[in-house]
Amino acid sequence: MNVVVLVKQVPDMNAVRIDRASGKLLLGGQQVVSSYDAHAVEEALRLKERLGGEVTVVTVGPAAAKDALSRALAMGADRALLVETPDANALDTLALARLLADHLRAIEFDLILAGQTADDYESGQVGAQVAEVLDLPLVSSAVELQTEDGRIVVRRDTEDGYQTVSVPLPAVVLASTGLNEPRYPSLKGIMAAKKKPLDRVAAEPEEAVARLSWDEPVVPERGAAGVVVQDVPPAEAARQLVAWLREQKLI
Amino acid sequence: MTESSAAVLIVGEVATDRSLRPVSLELVTAGRRLAAAGAPLTALLMGDGLGDAAREFAAAGVDRLLVVDDPVLAATTPEAAATAVAQAIAATSAGVVLIPGTTAGRDYAPRLAARLGVGLAADATDFALDDGVLVATRPVLGGRVQSAVHLLARPALATVRAASFPKAEATGAGPEPEPLAVEFGPNDRRTSVLETAPKEAGPANLEAAEVVIGGGRGLKEPGNFRLVEELAATLGGAVGATRAVVDAGWRPHHEQIGQTGRTVAPRLYLAVGVSGAVQHNVGMQGSDYVVAINRDPDAPIFKLAAFGVVGD
Ligand SMILES: Cc1cc2nc3c(=O)[nH]c(=O)nc-3n(C[C@H](O)[C@H](O)[C@H](O)COP(=O)(O)OP(=O)(O)OC[C@H]3O[C@@H](n4cnc5c(N)ncnc54)[C@H](O)[C@@H]3O)c2cc1C
Ligand SMILES: Nc1ncnc2c1ncn2[C@@H]1O[C@H](COP(=O)(O)O)[C@@H](O)[C@H]1O
Repeated sequence: MNVVVLVKQVPDMNAVRIDRASGKLLLGGQQVVSSYDAHAVEEALRLKERLGGEVTVVTVGPAAAKDALSRALAMGADRALLVETPDANALDTLALARLLADHLRAIEFDLILAGQTADDYESGQVGAQVAEVLDLPLVSSAVELQTEDGRIVVRRDTEDGYQTVSVPLPAVVLASTGLNEPRYPSLKGIMAAKKKPLDRVAAEPEEAVARLSWDEPVVPERGAAGVVVQDVPPAEAARQLVAWLREQKLI
Repeated sequence: MTESSAAVLIVGEVATDRSLRPVSLELVTAGRRLAAAGAPLTALLMGDGLGDAAREFAAAGVDRLLVVDDPVLAATTPEAAATAVAQAIAATSAGVVLIPGTTAGRDYAPRLAARLGVGLAADATDFALDDGVLVATRPVLGGRVQSAVHLLARPALATVRAASFPKAEATGAGPEPEPLAVEFGPNDRRTSVLETAPKEAGPANLEAAEVVIGGGRGLKEPGNFRLVEELAATLGGAVGATRAVVDAGWRPHHEQIGQTGRTVAPRLYLAVGVSGAVQHNVGMQGSDYVVAINRDPDAPIFKLAAFGVVGD
């Protein structure tokens, strides 16, 4: 079973801060593998361990995005492809999906795994659009995968409960966080990754077409937040909270 | 909005039990606002055996209701749904199409956008028209900031996050549902749904509780939920959880609150170490009072909170 995993490198969301004075976003932290994509890589490795085959990881991004690929290689992926472009976020999801599809056509695969949604812009579109461009079936919100004569059977987390669906391979499956617990690369894995093939090609995205445009994100008003207690010792914060709850007759 | 005002198509959704999902009625409100200048508001409903849901949708104040009632759509699978909506767009010359931001909607909308070669705004919470161009507001970066997406190509597509608009009230019988004939191809049939198993219900007290204490990943380790349990016991409340901690195995699935969990609306919702992702908030934003404890002053949960403690 040959699996391709689409991974995106994103800023660490736990380190994102907002500078209230300037209204600017501070994306100061490290660049990491988007969280859902780490689950997709893990699942590809488990399929390989069960069924054999190769795991290829693919990303579209700047030269530095090769760190995301190296991490996947260190986890156990076999090869990697970096489709290099200065800023993947400058492409709309359809341009990105078509670009990915162009490179995926040259790879032999039975299954494409992607994340349900990227941690940064959360569009949740790229995986589904790759499926459409390549004319493949799509199953999202995957929490369990099983293969069965040329098909994949997927348990999905939905509003109505766990839905089990079956689609023929090749197919695109989008990983949810409930799918598995991604492994940490071992020291041995990190050493081995250095010798694995990591190809780089320059991206040639389609001519920009005016399908959509977007503005710089803005920091919304603080909103409903009534009372906010900040910079006080925990015991004092607790006292104020209890006093407020009493006042509102909530306790 | 003059001649550029476009016909609006809203797509409803039925649940596995064939009931109309409430988000369908929210789209009526959103669609009506965008069709304000007198453009027609057409609704589409897809499924297998739509009788009651179609009547309820028609009565919510739409000008026309198209129905695709076909066994292929017994579950809203991505390819068949994209095919049906594409057909409805062609039949109505819709310039604006609003789709529920549900699991199914978030699957077929991107496929449809790719098929039509147009843009799509995901999980929009608000809309404006700028010189005839649909501008959708959507939360990004964990809900900390908002991005405005201008949909320059027609039809303009958007998925709409649940609970962003009030539900339209029933207005009377409404239009007679009009069947829309759709030809489905082999690809529309290649996804088979084998089973939908309702989630374990868990104790009934979560929905009934006056106080719910929701714990998230900020609690750092499963053992710290003991504090949440003790607090819940003291206040006579129930324990809820985010998907992050349920997926990590810290808490049972039946405690999950949100889009794919349970919906609660207690007097007091106390969120501890919960970031306030949109998918969590849809399950608790009906609470009378939200209190949040989080060390990140910009965590989106504070936008819902009447009382917030920044700290840990
Ligand atoms: C299709 C789909 C469906 C989903 N359905 C659901 C759903 O039904 N329910 C749901 O909950 N989620 C759902 N999610 C997931 C959702 O997007 C979030 O990932 C999840 O809610 C995050 O959980 P969290 O707040 O516990 O974790 P995080 O987002 O990691 O937040 C942890 C928070 O804790 C704070 N914190 C850290 N340390 C401390 C400390 N020491 N003291 C105080 N605060 C601290 C941090 O500042 C942060 O805000 C869904 C996602 C998708 C894509
Ligand atoms: N630049 C990229 N390179 C490779 N894969 C990507 C890229 N952007 C998004 N993806 C994949 O598509 C999924 C959904 O991304 P998005 O539509 O941006 O939310 C991600 O989880 C990845 O698996």
